[in-house]
Amino acid sequence: MSAFGRRGRATCLAAAVAAVTLVAGCGNNGVSTGSSGGVVQLSMLTGFTGPDEASYQALVTEFNTSHPDIHVTMTAEPWATVAQKLPAAWATGGGPDLATPSSDPGSIFNYIKTNSVLPLDSAVGTGSGQIDSSAFPSVVRNAFTVDGKLYAVPANMATLVLYYNKDMFAAAGIKAAPTTEADFIADAKKLTVSSGGKVSQYGLSLADNNTIQMWPILQWMSGGDIVDSKGCATVNSAASVSALTQWSQLVIQDHISPVGQAGADADTLFSSKKAAMEINGPWAASGYTSAGINLGMVKVPVGSAGPVTLASTVPLMIERNGPHTAQAEQFLAWYTGKAAQLKFSQISGFPPARTDLGSALSGNATVSLFASALPDAKLYLAGLPEATSIDSDVYVPMIQRIERGANVASATAAAATQINKLTGCAS
Amino acid sequence: MTSLSPSSGAPRRRSRRRFNSAYLFVAPSVVLIAVFIAEPILQSAWMSLHDWTIGSADNPFTGLANYRSLWQDSRFWNALRVTAIYTAAVTVGQVVLGLAIASRLRRTTWYSSLLRTAYFFPFVASLVVVGIVWKFLLDPQVGLIDAWLGDLGVSNPPQWLQSTSLALPTVIAVGIWKNVGFTMIVLLAGMQQVPADLYEAAMLDGAGPWRRFTAVTLPALRPALLFTTLIATITGLQLFDLVFAMTGGGPVFSTESVVMYLYEKGFVEFQMGYASAIAWVLFIIILAVSAVQLRVARNRDGD
Repeated sequence: MSAFGRRGRATCLAAAVAAVTLVAGCGNNGVSTGSSGGVVQLSMLTGFTGPDEASYQALVTEFNTSHPDIHVTMTAEPWATVAQKLPAAWATGGGPDLATPSSDPGSIFNYIKTNSVLPLDSAVGTGSGQIDSSAFPSVVRNAFTVDGKLYAVPANMATLVLYYNKDMFAAAGIKAAPTTEADFIADAKKLTVSSGGKVSQYGLSLADNNTIQMWPILQWMSGGDIVDSKGCATVNSAASVSALTQWSQLVIQDHISPVGQAGADADTLFSSKKAAMEINGPWAASGYTSAGINLGMVKVPVGSAGPVTLASTVPLMIERNGPHTAQAEQFLAWYTGKAAQLKFSQISGFPPARTDLGSALSGNATVSLFASALPDAKLYLAGLPEATSIDSDVYVPMIQRIERGANVASATAAAATQINKLTGCAS
Repeated sequence: MTSLSPSSGAPRRRSRRRFNSAYLFVAPSVVLIAVFIAEPILQSAWMSLHDWTIGSADNPFTGLANYRSLWQDSRFWNALRVTAIYTAAVTVGQVVLGLAIASRLRRTTWYSSLLRTAYFFPFVASLVVVGIVWKFLLDPQVGLIDAWLGDLGVSNPPQWLQSTSLALPTVIAVGIWKNVGFTMIVLLAGMQQVPADLYEAAMLDGAGPWRRFTAVTLPALRPALLFTTLIATITGLQLFDLVFAMTGGGPVFSTESVVMYLYEKGFVEFQMGYASAIAWVLFIIILAVSAVQLRVARNRDGD
């Protein structure tokens, strides 16, 4: 074999390697979307990796069965992964057709700002095959409507209730779950047990980070709040300061709850029978029952400001520049319809994301309890484009400082200044 | 006058072909580096000069506004302070402990081999896994550490990761535990390269163990020490995984590193321009610290 021949082949090989390397970078991003055999393929990215994933998958399967011309493929990845992938994917037109961007309803503002989410107004209506937004709880409809346009539908709807361990209540001689804030506080103190200077059982399991928010409920019970409808801080109002002082002292002095728990820590504390009460959503019920807890659930006790709890909803949106937006809208219309929502409630234990299914839920006590809390429920920092920043930069650190003994008046005043700076509130 | 004869042209053609082949062979690497390293670096510099949001049609040029905002951002300065403390503590702890362990395990026996493996094992594990495991171990309610302390009669064990004053030292301790095995192995390899006759000569001159360590071992280990110090410093300044898994930057930002803050701004709040500015400031800091360390080491070598 000649040297020239070897070099010639080497040159060809090098060229081939270079070409393959370049071509390899030109594939798709793994999202399956398009049409095959007359069936429109839709991809849906969600963050539902928990035990409730099966309920969403069941709903998708039912849609696929009843709509032979559309096939939805739902994938679930951790919320942090979704948050990293989706903005760039949708911005470049290569993302999933449908997605739940975050468990935070305020996240829709980021996608509206980048013009990558489809307004749903053309598909809204009360007719067959339309998205009946008038049936959504008003708090959800308002949160997903920006400048008069609806940008998302609720992928789920949850309210928080008070979970309690009936055995611990019986051991403490408490006959019934608390219904008022005064009873709630008295029970939390009574259920906190110490031995040898160490707390062996906490009355309440409160979390202050990486959690569904619990502290705003404690403020709302007494008439406090975080931000008003104009975007101005109310976290330093007299009612807020009073409520935060009361509850932080219960944590610091009476040790009714550990300090600095993440949401998962708070759940573990309750499920390991080291706490008697916890405020939580419907997703927690099956896990606590499996953990062998003699579980009781009641509505959040009523404070001086009347009944209140926190609502939680996950937005489900359509990519603006997707190739099959009409079919995606058809899916959302079916998903939020009466039949689908009723079925979802029955299999997941979540209340439906509609307000017109009251009588149909009467057979399921758990779903009825969560649904009955809906009229009094509030979303955390609803409708604020700066919600994510207020939560991570201001509110959570403020609660953490207060729990560790910071002066409540000073901490809330500083937080109010930061919130007003973020929202642009002039007053 | 120059003439090209057939005999002189053939080697030149062969040379050119060899040259072309070489280019084609390196082309994939050049393309990959250009697309995945050089272009993103240049793009991030460009983004840091804009109010840049992912996917936004309008990303206005703002000049050095992001850098000016950083200068006034107390959360950034806090993150820088946390990163500096972590880097200094972990680098010193890792090198000093690694040196001490390497000295103790210098002789190869079955026992020292076992201990070397045990010390090196955490380095092989993923940082995120290490963080999650330690988070469980240190949990005040269900963790083993506080349970053992309770058995020993400690009624109120420390709130390792919940206390604003203890969280960072705890993360530092885990960081040292994770990486000390790597330093130990590098220094051990360096020690085994030191000629035995140097020690024999030192002993003949009457040098004791400490004197032999300072006069023979340490000078011979200078390149290895420089390498481990540099690597520990750079990885310390890039702190992210451990904090993300153990504390999420809390409580009250007491463990929030610069990269953690960058992540929050870029991938939670989508402020990519601001996040890019943070990345560039961190890059310049790493470059400066590395240059100083190399310069100091070179000057000592000159001595």
